[in-house]
Amino acid sequence: MLVSSYRVTRFAFQNFWRNFWLSVITISMLVLTLMTVNILLLLSAVTQQAIGLVEDRIEVSVYFHDSVEQETVDGAVAYLRSLSQVRDVETISAQEAYDQFVARHEGDEQIMASLVELGENPFGPTLVVKAEQAEDFAIILDALENPQFRDAIRDKDFSDYEQIVERIRSTTDRIRAFGIALSAIFLLIAILIVFNTVRMGIFIHREEIGIMRLVGASNGFIKAPFYLEMVLMSLIALSVTLIVLFPILSMLEPQFRVYFATESAGLLAFFTRNGFLIFGLEFLGLVLVCLFSTTLAMRKFLKV
Amino acid sequence: MIRFKHVSKIYPPNVVGVEGVSLHIRPGEFVSIVGKSGTGKSTLAKLLFAEERPTRGTIEIGGWDITNIHDRDIPLLRRQIGVVFQDFKLLPMKTVYENVAFALQVAGERPKRIREVVPAVLKIVNLEPMTDRYPRQLSGGEAQRVAIGRALVHSPKVLVADEPTGNLDTINTREIVDLLKKINEFGTTVALVTHDREVVNALKKRVITLEDGKITSDVEEGRYKL
Repeated sequence: MLVSSYRVTRFAFQNFWRNFWLSVITISMLVLTLMTVNILLLLSAVTQQAIGLVEDRIEVSVYFHDSVEQETVDGAVAYLRSLSQVRDVETISAQEAYDQFVARHEGDEQIMASLVELGENPFGPTLVVKAEQAEDFAIILDALENPQFRDAIRDKDFSDYEQIVERIRSTTDRIRAFGIALSAIFLLIAILIVFNTVRMGIFIHREEIGIMRLVGASNGFIKAPFYLEMVLMSLIALSVTLIVLFPILSMLEPQFRVYFATESAGLLAFFTRNGFLIFGLEFLGLVLVCLFSTTLAMRKFLKV
Repeated sequence: MIRFKHVSKIYPPNVVGVEGVSLHIRPGEFVSIVGKSGTGKSTLAKLLFAEERPTRGTIEIGGWDITNIHDRDIPLLRRQIGVVFQDFKLLPMKTVYENVAFALQVAGERPKRIREVVPAVLKIVNLEPMTDRYPRQLSGGEAQRVAIGRALVHSPKVLVADEPTGNLDTINTREIVDLLKKINEFGTTVALVTHDREVVNALKKRVITLEDGKITSDVEEGRYKL
């Protein structure tokens, strides 16, 4: 068994070297396919990061009438905090709201004059509500229609971030769909190229294969080098992809860091953290595709 | 040893390879199968090592019915039947030693056994001094001896030689025929497919004659009659 494995491996390497340029073309196509898949993953990571950042910044401001009882405000806070869609509720008292307004409009004499003319604090307490996700705001706004404190609310200020998030999502979804289509095309080409590589391999080794059959080599022994060669090519393709991908990620990371104004864009971290899973699955997928294609080619061209 | 019962091989659409062939070759026999080109000699040989399947009839080798042999069993059969062709079928990039060893390597034999068997076989075929030569450095007779050596490494019960002297001059032909006789004397059944009148007449062994895919004569110590 060990001896046969060694010989099969040797034949596989011979196949590889004898069709060197064909092997290079096959590997290039496999690399292109893997790169497209990884760009899709990268896009997904960037999208998540962008959406996360936008979601982190969105909030609903709930303004109460200045005459509202503190008890009603506390009730609203408790109710909102009990909702699973609510991430945080910040309470701003009437005085804090007044101070913030003054601080914000310090230089605007007209506004400050109007405020003095009113003679009293026109602001009521304010709640700043943060949601878990952008789509949760619809539920939170509905919840604020609760009759217990609906009438105590003067106004609700909700910037339509959901639209922004939706726009990010729809754009990336379109790019992703294009990427998936591109991956599918590359995959199909890769299958055809692998098919052709195996066909050429069979053609080049037809004499040797014929003699193997003649002298009693088992079917498995004849076929195994072709399968092994494809596994070897998949391994090389994955290695090349890693060698190309990580420098690209390292280059992109600072650009995205600036764009997102964060300490880390998380791209490298994403690929490092999930590396074994991502590249393991990619390798497995690639091997399965290659084996499938090899089987097709051998069924058609290799008579054993 | 080898038994054909009413064996026919029809190639699509309707080309007759052999038709209604029945024969029995006993263990250790040396049989010449003769006939003009296209009379089914090679088809008969291919049926022997399961390169072709019969359309009708049954084939048994050593009690093993190979009529509908399963693909996975063909390698086992071929390790029991050595085959030699007119065009030698040697690997040009391998030396004499490597060509002979190749048959054992692909059958999964251990290196130690290969190191024992190959020199012994090369001694039988008288190629000991040429182990490192490549096929292009050999004469036709020497190349055919390598092919015979390769066919012998599994110690087959049957050796099928399909026109082994077709590409050889008289001297080399005689050498190859002598070698086949020697192998036969060791107990291996030899089926020699040939249309070489002189070879058949010199052998003075059993001769089966084919015409239009049918056996027209089967004579012990026969002669080439066509």
